Amino acid sequence: MLRLKATPFDQIKWQPGRRTLNKPAAAIAGSGATPYYFRGKSAPQTQYELIGKAVIAACVDAGIAVTEIDGLVSYAHGFEASNICEMLGIPELSYAATVTGQGGGSAGVLDLAASAIETGRARHVVCIGCSQQLGGHRYGTSLASLATTSTGVFSLFAGLVGPGPSMALLARRHMHKYGTRREAFAEVVMASRDYAQTMPEAIRKNPVTLDDYFAAPMLADPLCRLDFCLETDAALAFVVTGSDRARDLRHKPVYIEGAAHGGGGDWGRGFLSLNMPDDVFASAGSERVARQVYARAGVSAKDIDVALIYDHFSPLVVMQLEDYGFCPRGEGGRFVESGAIRPGGAIPVNPHGGHLSECYAIGMTHIREAVEQLRGTAVNQVPDARLALVTGGPAPVPVSAAILGN
Amino acid sequence: MISTAPAIADIPLPIDQWTQPFWSAACRCELVMPCCADCGTWRWPPGPFCPHCLSQAIAWQLAGPARLYSFAIVHRPGPTPADSPQAIVPGLVEFPEAGGMRIAAAIIDSKIDRIAIGSALSVRWVPKDETNVPMFVVV
Repeated sequence: MLRLKATPFDQIKWQPGRRTLNKPAAAIAGSGATPYYFRGKSAPQTQYELIGKAVIAACVDAGIAVTEIDGLVSYAHGFEASNICEMLGIPELSYAATVTGQGGGSAGVLDLAASAIETGRARHVVCIGCSQQLGGHRYGTSLASLATTSTGVFSLFAGLVGPGPSMALLARRHMHKYGTRREAFAEVVMASRDYAQTMPEAIRKNPVTLDDYFAAPMLADPLCRLDFCLETDAALAFVVTGSDRARDLRHKPVYIEGAAHGGGGDWGRGFLSLNMPDDVFASAGSERVARQVYARAGVSAKDIDVALIYDHFSPLVVMQLEDYGFCPRGEGGRFVESGAIRPGGAIPVNPHGGHLSECYAIGMTHIREAVEQLRGTAVNQVPDARLALVTGGPAPVPVSAAILGN
Repeated sequence: MISTAPAIADIPLPIDQWTQPFWSAACRCELVMPCCADCGTWRWPPGPFCPHCLSQAIAWQLAGPARLYSFAIVHRPGPTPADSPQAIVPGLVEFPEAGGMRIAAAIIDSKIDRIAIGSALSVRWVPKDETNVPMFVVV
């Protein structure tokens, strides 16, 4: 069968983002959020009410009127631009787009928003993310509904009812292949909890010791309860606009230096299909997006001052640190155990406490923290932070990443 | 502790034209996997195209020996408070003679401390609807 020849991945020249006055064309001008709630505690507010509150807060933060919004971006999580327009009286949209997939797309909303700004399709794009788990709906058992398909049913018959046991398969393989220890996963959890202690809204603030970690019940061996992120409700929104416009608004602009959403076909559905090649299996499936986002921003891992790493499960933080080039493949465990992700370490990770301790809003709290770090207003401020990396996923493709700068 | 089979009685079994040959063979207690009839590339899950050459022709072949690629251990309370806790072991079963393809399947009736990456496995067919679901025991 005829097949056109593809350019080898190594030879693709990724386009840098368009720049004006040597600054990126698009910037985040406003950041808004609802309070963070434990799973289900946001009732009786609906998901749209939470979203509305976050969007209004983001516009207030930016200093624009809600009626100035002309672009809406989200990623696949069950809400529609049409409802938001009606609810908030947005008079005219010229751009509406959704990143496909699941939690992998969170940072990808910035890629879509920047695309709209760079191409003149919209002036004020609001990026939205929301998680709400009401009634019997829990992300922890989300695969039960996903997998009742002709191919997904195998996961159910295997007992893979939630993402946790599937991630455990990846984690065990990483341990087997590279000698990664549970102490490394513990360090990700302990660092997250130490950061969260000063965060006013963090859901879990009590410190965790190594003894606490090893005493926690095993939910999906080798993962214990503390390796799983929180299940929480929250909505967050961000106003993205042109850099020139952003400089006239209330806050110092946070520039979108580069953003990307995509990934390798060999990762595909990742932990849902589990047939990735062996070298990709014990990874976070983010290596290709890492290369794309660094090329777009014209920087590399060593230039990043603070990393907001999607932490639904602690082992996947270790693997993303490898994918994003902070340490060599297979060295992630030893890297975190050396104290690298702590304050003053090689790369401070999730100074807000992340999904493991502060709040799980499917990646959006990581964008909020990046904005605050780059405005210089973060609670656990990384001194002189100039460049922040935000990641989305590991999840089915597209996974995503953004590099923000001030 | 011995691993327990997950409860599968209430899980619906949707079958489409691409997975139907798998379940027909499973009915005869044969584990088969799809291999491209044109270029010989194995694939899993079964689907309408060979991801290597895009052919739609499939030759279903016996999957051959199985070994454990990775696994998790999920502890659950027993069915009643009088029962002892259970360990369910979701496994990822690799077939070296079928292109290294992997199927997610439960590891059952095996001593937990004998389950390891690389363990040789043999299939146990568990009746379900009109066919059988493959589960595996450590040899």
